[in-house]
Parts: sequence; structure tokens; C-alpha cells
Amino acid sequence: MESPAPYAPQNKVRIVTAASLFDGHDAAINVMRRIIQATGCEVIHLGHNRSVMDVVECAIQEDAQAIAMTSYQGGHVEYLTYMRNLLVERGASHIKIFAGGGGTILPSEIETLHANGITRVYSPDDGRSMGLQGMINDLVEKSDFVTPLNYANGLAQSVQEKDPMAIAQAISCAERGDSQRIAFTVNGKRSPVLGITGTGGAGKSSLTDEIVRRFLLDHPDKTIAVVSVDPSKRKTGGALLGDRIRMNAVSDPRVYMRSFATREANVAINPHVRDAINILSYAGFDLIIVETAGIGQSDSQITDVADVSMYVMTPEYGAATQLEKIDMIDYADVIALNKFDKRGALDALRDVRKQYQRSRQLFTSKIDDMPVYGTIASQFNDPGTNTLYRALNDLLTHRCNLSWSSNFEITDEMSEKIFIIPPERTRYLAEIVENNRRYDAFVEKQSELARALWRVQGAIEQLTTSKQQ
Amino acid sequence: MITKHQTDAITTLETLAEGLEAQLHHEVRALLASWEKKKAEYSGEHYTYTVRGKDIRVANYEESLSHTKVPKIALPQFKDWGEIVRWCMQENVPGEFPFTAGVYPFKRTNEDPTRMFAGEGGPERTNRRFHYLSKGMPAARLSTAFDSVTLYGEDPDHRPDIYGKIGNSGVSIATLDDAKKLYSGFDLCSPTTSVSMTINGPAPMLLAFFMNAAIDQECEKVIRERGLVENVEEKIDAIYAAKGLSRPIYRHGDGSTELPDGNNGLGLLLLGVTGDQVLPADVYAECRKRALQSVRGTVQADILKEDQAQNTCIFSTEFALRLMGDVQKYFIDEGVRNFYSVSISGYHIAEAGANPITQLAFTLANGFTYVEYYLSRGMDINDFAPNLSFFFSNGVDPEYSVIGRVARKIWAKAIKQMYGGNERSQMLKYHIQTSGRSLHAQEIDFNDIRTSLQALYAIYDNCNSLHTNAYDEAITTPTEESVRRAVAIQLIINRELGLAKNENPLQGSFIIEELTDLVEEAVYTEFRRIAERGGVLGAMENMYQRNKIQEESLYYETLKHTGEYPIIGVNTFLSSKGSPTVIPQEVIRSTTDEKEQQINNVRSVQDRNASTTTEALAELRQKAIHNQNIFAALMEAAKVCSLGQMTHALYEVGGQYRRNM
Repeated sequence: MESPAPYAPQNKVRIVTAASLFDGHDAAINVMRRIIQATGCEVIHLGHNRSVMDVVECAIQEDAQAIAMTSYQGGHVEYLTYMRNLLVERGASHIKIFAGGGGTILPSEIETLHANGITRVYSPDDGRSMGLQGMINDLVEKSDFVTPLNYANGLAQSVQEKDPMAIAQAISCAERGDSQRIAFTVNGKRSPVLGITGTGGAGKSSLTDEIVRRFLLDHPDKTIAVVSVDPSKRKTGGALLGDRIRMNAVSDPRVYMRSFATREANVAINPHVRDAINILSYAGFDLIIVETAGIGQSDSQITDVADVSMYVMTPEYGAATQLEKIDMIDYADVIALNKFDKRGALDALRDVRKQYQRSRQLFTSKIDDMPVYGTIASQFNDPGTNTLYRALNDLLTHRCNLSWSSNFEITDEMSEKIFIIPPERTRYLAEIVENNRRYDAFVEKQSELARALWRVQGAIEQLTTSKQQ
Repeated sequence: MITKHQTDAITTLETLAEGLEAQLHHEVRALLASWEKKKAEYSGEHYTYTVRGKDIRVANYEESLSHTKVPKIALPQFKDWGEIVRWCMQENVPGEFPFTAGVYPFKRTNEDPTRMFAGEGGPERTNRRFHYLSKGMPAARLSTAFDSVTLYGEDPDHRPDIYGKIGNSGVSIATLDDAKKLYSGFDLCSPTTSVSMTINGPAPMLLAFFMNAAIDQECEKVIRERGLVENVEEKIDAIYAAKGLSRPIYRHGDGSTELPDGNNGLGLLLLGVTGDQVLPADVYAECRKRALQSVRGTVQADILKEDQAQNTCIFSTEFALRLMGDVQKYFIDEGVRNFYSVSISGYHIAEAGANPITQLAFTLANGFTYVEYYLSRGMDINDFAPNLSFFFSNGVDPEYSVIGRVARKIWAKAIKQMYGGNERSQMLKYHIQTSGRSLHAQEIDFNDIRTSLQALYAIYDNCNSLHTNAYDEAITTPTEESVRRAVAIQLIINRELGLAKNENPLQGSFIIEELTDLVEEAVYTEFRRIAERGGVLGAMENMYQRNKIQEESLYYETLKHTGEYPIIGVNTFLSSKGSPTVIPQEVIRSTTDEKEQQINNVRSVQDRNASTTTEALAELRQKAIHNQNIFAALMEAAKVCSLGQMTHALYEVGGQYRRNM
């Protein structure tokens, strides 16, 4: 079958993708989200095992036009109907729901779901007749609209009440260039901003999640907003906004999160992040975290908007001279050396501290006092991340004249990994290969010896037999 | 006449022979010396061997209708000592290192390796199904499938995104009471009962429910033996009277409380309480000890393959591994010898799309990762290796004809030489299931043919246990009729097929030997790739396994789509109607009554134990924070807490799973 050309959306279409609750089947949604992105949409992917609440709150906070779900584990009628009801209850009935689940969703159930307000459930037959791109075209076309603004108390007051949809749509207004509608947020009091940037794969979003988690524990009455920026694809205009999937802490009601696509080439920050900061400040969040993708030269743009900025890297940067090329070491207030369980981490810590010291000419200070912290974000309650969190908390308090009091203890201990496999044993699989091959070689050698011996014994036998004849 | 030349030649040759013999390893010399004796042992009427101090005598032959004596074990006719040495060291008879042809000398004759698979609705419905399946069978091998709410460690609830999943595609188990009902009427401590639980993320909690159910069954037996039933009933009544509550009961969704045929009620006397509440501490301790040392079964609990392929992780991977280590340590400390603490599974890796080589390589690599981890925690290889078991998928690819052979060989060589494990540790035992992915929703009748071929591979390869899928599994929950046909596939091969009377039919085949070598080499190549990435955990960090599985899945789909990979009745040899996809008319779903009952039950357990759960959960968290054995704490917590309560308490101290993209 000929695959139809991708539909070209007129508006910036944002779509949340996920697999249903208690459902680990993520192969199909992973295929779909790629095609949706290639069709020019911004995709906020949440991954598998997502509750209705998770998905609905995400769709509202992200001001998405639609949600695309897969469900292969049963319970889809209840799940999707609940999703629809919750959207309506939250005043977000404009957000459309699309779903698929292969043969697990029966034709009669598809009818029920359509009657319950699910925009479209795609069946295996649809897949065959429309093709993947055809289904996605249908989905994107139905989602190609400007999300409607509708507030009983007006946008300004709703934003001030921290209504997540109002905040989300105010930010979208900014993104659409409708600056007039959000003029009320300019020149207000500004919330403290923590900027986080770093190289791809350094564990930025995991570390951000761990900082948010500690902030929520440490300040039980405070709220936090996270703004995360990922690059847009120049070719299609689509973007994969992938930070949210890593963030477990954002499901807390004290957290608002918004993902941005850069929508421009070669920038790390969407120009409307400043507007977003104004809006979130107006809403009164106690802390705003701005996280940007590290794409090299433009990383340091983050320092323009942040009160305190942090650079996340790993010990795997190559030779020490490479550090001299990293702009952010010169600009960041704090550096997190994540994945501190990697080989050479201690050397890296020393080198990065040295570079930090050199770039600021801090030769009178002790090198161990440089704000470079070894962290293992993947390890629960990692002491290094605790130390880092406390340092950021104190720096923000100091710089922004805040009255925060932290209960997080500073410990001198290094972030020491509780190893599952001790570092000296990580070659175990190679050793097994060597061991087994050694045995095989031994067998071959013994086999050859035995054969030779057999032949010699045979020869002796022949000679002895002929002797007797 | 003999010439001097000849005498000289003989002397020279004898010197040469002496030199060669001196270079032979003493074990190799012994092997050659005993070769003829070994052959004789297999050619007499009977073969005698010893298991745990008991002599077992087995007939060496089976007679066919034509009176042909078919040997159970056929040995090679080699004369060349080189061939004999190589064969004995790389192949050998079943039951001897390197166990290529099998881990036991002979197959068991008294027990078909057929599992009774069930899991639907509430525990009562599944219990009824278990009794139906095991009726008249000499052994009860209960395989439990849990609903997705349980698989993710949560409690049943009215929240609609949870509600629809209660008791669907598996049984809902959230409390100790549920576990007691589920296995009631089966003596969990009997050597003829074994229980397998397909659960991973919350495996430690479900295992704690199971172990407590077994312990309380032992208590119940003692109570009955000593004529204490009335006394105990009074005590339980008093406990419930004090709380102003009524005692929990075994009750079907339709309200009937009748026990199914075959259920004698064992396990239900102590419903709602635990043995330690009604028996003196020393008696309870004895029951506990006896139960732990006699339970038989397997819990899947393989968290590495979850992160690589199946996605039912709930805790951070490190914490989940620590829990697995705690379970194994507890097994060692408490003498739990007949229960597999993990079923290291390639099945889900293959179902997610991996080819057989990748399945085998990833699974063995995961297995060795557990070995390394347990060793690093100071456990002895011989204390834990016998508690490990494997689980593979069996498709129609050529490599599947040797998957067991290669797995056993690689494992035995590594455990013996690198880890110094004893013979019991060297034996890789595996369950195998025919591939679900190879079943198609078109021409579903053809699926039984595929399953039969896969079952043949598995039986010839001497699997330790086998599950054959029903032909309609691609489209719906199997019916009694389709399950019966699937079981018949195994029975026909085992009982009817003549060649299967022989137990090493693959040995000596050129192609099998060559495939064995090729697959073994391919697995080593993959081991090296994983090693380069820092081992299994290092590779997982970069999603190496996930990406490889996805690539291989895509490759298969592409070839299937283009027709280069022929599938009869799917992409070729279509029927005159075009072999349309078969759509099920209806699917078995749990009833509203069952769902409501499960919600009510979990709430009443939470309510009646409200005063003790807080303490139990605090203790659980403390043990986790202070690096003590978490499973020991779970064994206590499981007496009073619900699954969801324990899961959430552990999230606070171990961290939730962080999804990847």
C-alpha cells in the first residue's frame, strides 16, 4: 500500500503520548510517537504504566491539543472514559483522546468509547486500511486547532490562583506571540530561578527530578515550577519533549511542569522562556527551575535568565584539556559531576575543580572548596545529590535574599556508590568467555593427545601382531 | 620371525606412548579407562544411579510394537580415543558434565512436566480452576498469573483506571487472605505440590504472602492433629469480637461459599489471622521452619529482563536487585532449598522481538549478573546456584533446536571452572514455553502445528518443563477446549511418538553439533559486546539491550511484511477468503461482584489491622534504611499489610522506577 504524505499542521500541535496504567506494552506507542513527531508535532511522551491523573494533568499543564494512548492490558473502557470525564471536569473538554489497543479492544467497545467522547479508537482494520501514516494524519488533522481560552475569572486571576490550565494557556499565548494578553505578567515580582543545563545523556532530567523531590520534602509548604526546553527538529518542525518521562516527582500537586521546544535552530532557550518565567512568577511559584538541552556553544544562554545556574556533566569527557573548551564551566555557579560511579570519577572531580578555579582565578581558595559535586542521580537518596541540593538551596537563599530554612544536613561524605557489581568485576562476561574458551582449547589438546596415543598404541599392536605371526 | 627393526620400533613407540600418556590429564585418562564400562552400563537391561543417597534403577530400553529395543540413551560407536575424549568432555551422556544433553541421567517417568496454568477474577475463581485442572493428577503444579494491578504492586480500588483491570488477565491478590484462598485445598508443603508465580516488580511481597500461607497451613495441620480446632475457633472469634468485625470467608463472586470439588479446605481455618496469634511461640516456630524447608516452587522475580524487555518494574533497578539478594539470603539462612528464588527469563525478551541468539545471550548474561551480585554479597555459589532456574521461549528458528544444549554447556563450564561450583550448581534447569509471538490471528487452526513443532524441539532438547500455548491465545483467553489440545500436544509426543522414547535423539547429528558450536560462539560474541559496555548493568544504562531487541523485532516485521520470511496462512498460502484476521466474539472478563469483593476484602484487611500496620511498615522502612534484610521484614509485614501498603512504604526508602525512552 502507498503510504500517504504526512499531513502538514497549520498550528503548533502538542500531543501527549503514553501507555495505559499497569501496562508495560510500549512498542506500539513508541512507533506512533515517532511518526507523530515526524508529522511536525511536539510530542510529550510519558512512557508506560501511566494513571489517568498523570496523563490528564500533563495534558493540561502542557496545553496539549490531544492525548494518544495505547492499552493492551484490558480495562480500556473504564480507563478512557474516566480520562474523558476528568478532562471535562477540569474544564479541558477541548483536549481530544485517541487510542489503540490492537485486538484487545473489541469492536463493540470501540462503539461505546466513541459514544463516551473518545475522539477515535483505531482498530487493527483501520491500521490495515489507513496505514500508520494515514492514522497519524487523521489524528493530527483532528488536533490541528488553537486551544480555546475560557476562564470564569479572567486569565490574570486564574494564573494567580495557580490554575494549571490558565498558566499553560498563558504560556501558549506567549509562544504564539500574543504578548498583549499576558502583559499583566510583565514587571511583577520575580521568583528565584535555578537554571540547569548540560550535555545530553549526563542525567540532567534525573538530577532535576531528584532536586525537585528533595525540595518538596525539605519545604512542605512551597511550590515549584519546572520549565524544560528540548530542541525542535529543523526538518519537520516536530520535537520530542522527553524530560517529563524521567520526572517522578512532578505528579505532586505542588509542582507545575511545562516542556518547550526551541522552535528555532541553534538555540538552547526558547525566546518565550522569559515570558514563561514572568507568568510563573506572577502565579507565585516559590522556585522556578529552567532546564535546557546542552547543544554546545549556546549553553551559557541559561545564565541570562537564571539566578543560580548549574552545569551537569559526567566524568566521561575525555582528556582534561577538553574541559578548557566547555563554556559553562566558566559561567555556571555550580557543577554536578553526575554518574560519579564511572571509572575515573575522582580524577575528573579534581580536573573539573581545577578548571573551575582557573577560569575564575580563584587561586587563593582551596581546590576542594570549588562548587563541583559528585552525584549519582540514579541511586536513591544519594549523599552526593543531598550535598548538591543543599548547596543550591543555600546559594539561592543567599542570592535572592530568601528566608528559606533547610533541614537537609550537609554531610562531608563523598557520594559512594553501593555497587551491585563491584567495579573490579565488571569484566565478568568477558572472563566467562575466556574461561570457557580455555576449557575448549584444553579439550582439543587432550583430544589430539588421546588420538595420537591411540594411533601409537595401534601401531604397537600391529607390530606385535605381525611379530606373533 | 621378528626382526630387530621391529623390536626397536616397538620400543620407540612405547617410549612415545609413555610420553603422550604422561601429557594426558589424569581425568582424561580415567575417562578413557572407563569408556567401555560406561557403554556397558547403558547396554545392560537396567541402569542404576544414586540421587540424594537413594539408588534408582531404570530400564535401559523401551520396546516398540515391532519388538525393537529402543535405547533410552544411545552412545556413539567411536573407536578413536580423540573422538571419545572430545565427546565425553563437550557432549557426554545426560546427567554428566558439561550436561550438554541434559542435567539428569534419565527423564522422570512418573510426572509429566505439565503445568496447570490459571489466573482470573478473584482468588476463589482461580482456586476453583486450579482444582479443576489438577483433578486426578498425581502432582499439582500450579502456575499463577496475576492481574496487572497486582503485577504493579497496587491494591484493587474503585478508581476507574484501576477498577477495569481488577481480576482481568490474571488473579487479583492483595492480601495474605487472598493467597490463602488461592491455594486452599492444596498442601503447599507436600512434595507433590509446586507453585509457580509469574510476578516480578512486587515478587518479594507476593512471595511473603505465599510463604505465610504455607506456614499457616502447617499450623492448621498441627491444630487439627492436636484436636485444637474448637479452641482455635474460639480464639479467632474472640479476636474478631473484640474488633466488632466479622471473620473473612471463602466466597465466590456469585455469593456461594461452597468449596470446589477437590478442595478439602486446608488453609482456610486460619483465614483472617496468622498462626502466631493462636499457637504458642515455639509451636509456631516449628511450623514455620517446617513450611519454609518444604515448600516447592518458583517465583519469576527477574528484574533485569523487566528493565530490558517487559516493563513491570516498580522500584529503582538497584533497589529491586537488593530485594532479590535479600530473598536469596533469606532462603539460605532459613533453609528454603526447594524453591527457586528467581526464574531467569528469556521468554519476554524473545516476545519483545529478540532473535533466539539474543534471547539466550541476554538471559545467560543476566543469570551470571545475579551470580556476581550474590557472590559480592558474600553468599556461597553452592548455597544459591541451585535456587536459580531459567525460562526460555521456543520458536521455530533453527537455533531453537539447540537452545537448551548451548545454555547448559555454557553455564556448566563457567560455574565449574570459573566459580568453583559443585555439580548441583553446574546444572542449568529450565522451563520452556512455546512462543506466543509465533501464534497468528489469521488461520488460527495452524497455530497448533507451530506449537507442536516447537514442543518437539523442546522435548528432544531435554527441557525440564514445558508449556504449550493454546492456538487461540493470539486472539483471546484460551478456552478449556483449546487448552486441552495444547496439553495433548505434549502428551502425544511424550507418550505416542516412538523416537521420543529415546532421550538423546539429538546427539551425534552433524547439524546439531554444528549449530551448537555456532550458537555458542554467537553467544560469546554477544557477551563480549555487553562486557565492552560495562557488563549487563552498564549496557542497560545506555539502553543497549532494549535497542537491540527493537532492531531485531523490526527486522522480523520487515521480512514478514515483504514476504521474504514466509508464514503460512499469514503472508503466503492464503485461503480463498484471504485468510482474514479472526476477531473474538467476546472475551472472558471478571465480574462486578468479583471486583467489588476484592476491593471490600482489601479494605477490611486494612481496617482490621490499622493499629498494627503502621508499626509493621515503620519496621519495614527501618530495615531498608539500615541495610538489613528487607525480605525478613516483609515476611512480618505481609501478615497484616496489603500489597499496596508495602509497595508504597518501600517507594519511600528505595525509590520508584524511573522510566526510560
